[in-house]
Amino acid sequence: MTSVIGSRVVREDAWGKVFGQAQYPADLNLPGQIYGVVLRSPHSHARILSMDVRKARELPGVAAVLTAADVPRNSHGVLYRDQPVLVAEHIRMVGDPLLAVGAESLELAREAAGLVEIEYEPLPALFDTEEAMRPGASPLHPEVHGLSNVFYHLPVVKGDLNKGWEIADVVVERDYSTQMVDHAFLQPEAVLAHVDARGNLVIQVSTQYPHYDRGEIAHALGIKVSRVQVKTLSIGGSFGGREDISLQLIAAMLAYKTLRPVKMENSREESFYSHCKRHPMSMHYKTGATRQGKLVALEARIVGDAGAYASWSPNILRKAAIHATGPYEIPHLRVDSYAVFTNNPWTGAMRGFGAAQPVLAYESQMDILAQELGLSPLEIRLRNIFRTGSVTATGQLLSGSVGLEECLQKVAPFLRQEEDKE
Amino acid sequence: MVELELTVNGKACMLKIEPGERLIDVLRQRLGLTGTKEGCGEGECGACTVIMDGRTINSCVVLAIQAHGRDITTIEGVGNRIRPHPVQRAFVEEGAVQCGYCTPGMVLAAKALLDKNPDPSPQEIGAAMSGNLCRCTGYDKILRAVQRAAREVTGT
Repeated sequence: MTSVIGSRVVREDAWGKVFGQAQYPADLNLPGQIYGVVLRSPHSHARILSMDVRKARELPGVAAVLTAADVPRNSHGVLYRDQPVLVAEHIRMVGDPLLAVGAESLELAREAAGLVEIEYEPLPALFDTEEAMRPGASPLHPEVHGLSNVFYHLPVVKGDLNKGWEIADVVVERDYSTQMVDHAFLQPEAVLAHVDARGNLVIQVSTQYPHYDRGEIAHALGIKVSRVQVKTLSIGGSFGGREDISLQLIAAMLAYKTLRPVKMENSREESFYSHCKRHPMSMHYKTGATRQGKLVALEARIVGDAGAYASWSPNILRKAAIHATGPYEIPHLRVDSYAVFTNNPWTGAMRGFGAAQPVLAYESQMDILAQELGLSPLEIRLRNIFRTGSVTATGQLLSGSVGLEECLQKVAPFLRQEEDKE
Repeated sequence: MVELELTVNGKACMLKIEPGERLIDVLRQRLGLTGTKEGCGEGECGACTVIMDGRTINSCVVLAIQAHGRDITTIEGVGNRIRPHPVQRAFVEEGAVQCGYCTPGMVLAAKALLDKNPDPSPQEIGAAMSGNLCRCTGYDKILRAVQRAAREVTGT
């Protein structure tokens, strides 16, 4: 049983991949397939006043043009179904899907999408989380999330913060912010959908969540989950970016409507527009320490820009709050973490899932505190790190193994070498 | 339609194609060689790398007609499970394969390098692989795999 640990294990699918045999959805084709494209919003906030698809529908070779009116239940989303399959009226971000075309060739599908006439009423857009949080800011999702753009708030409180400031000899207060990041997984989204001999939908796709996808597709089409089969092919990277459903939902609808196999592939540009991003976070940190270099107080406010839809934002901002102290013991603290809607691209899961952004804030605070206290960056960390028996900000007793001290001691000689070089 | 004659993985091919067709489309769609991948469509990521007359090219930014009379090697023309190319074996053994989407291009870039320079320095490996992006591995294992393959090729 322990033969795996400490030994080299060859990936099960590695051989197929080095010969180019691994199949990603774009590698599959079916006889008689049509090609699907999505027309996406160029506006970050707008109302659709009218949409005329007649010319597109009449173009020879066009099998179907789908709009919101063709979607039986027009919503999807991993935590909240706050995202339209195809926008009916309210556009909330650049890249919102407005309609789908299925045609005999990709070129025809694109040409048809270009013939659709849409009249927009641009609306004032919110790009800044602080603005979006203000009372009276226009709410992006009154139907699903109520009259505030703040749809998640987690306070974490431990000890007595007033006491913490009293015993702090040094206080460092700074603002930090991180940027939006795209996963840029190497394989752009692609899917092949068809209806099988029994009338069931078969979706071949690269997804992180085949079971979720099944539910979303069945929900949108108003059919039983048992009538949807989602088959996961090789996945060309995802890093969180394939947790939310994507083209597979639209391809499923086109296949269901036309009874033709439907192939869809995003270009890199379409991929950027269509999937979620990493949350930019604004972080205000106030950290107090004693002259001996012990952390005693932390007040932190973390605001995550969720963009236009919730996706995994509550879970991600929860994780940011839980990790806000970093791997350091702080007896007195208050952390407030928020997820806020704006008209920016929507944000969701990405490597680290909210734990990555606060690192910038808490580690910078440690370095600044070290400077103020005349300690080395290593020393201030050794005086505060989690060890076996530590209790985290959320009250978790670390009863098992905590390898941080051992790790830092191993790294220490190399850090000293670097210091000597400088 | 125009006529295109080229050699792909040692086989002579004659095709009628549209003048605007890209080499990647001819390989993937007309010849069914789907081991060549499209990642960016603009010659940045290297997933579509193939070898043309001994040089790596991005097949997404080369018109198929530019390959007229040329010799093309795609991943399907390199090694097999019974007799893998040293680069392929090294990629598997060094754990240089994760999602696999960049792998065909990486293998071809490494093969083209070792064909010309069987004993490359780490800098030469870095330069030869610089046109191929990987989002999973962080590159270390890929560079180690190329070094390992080089050792096997030179028998050192």
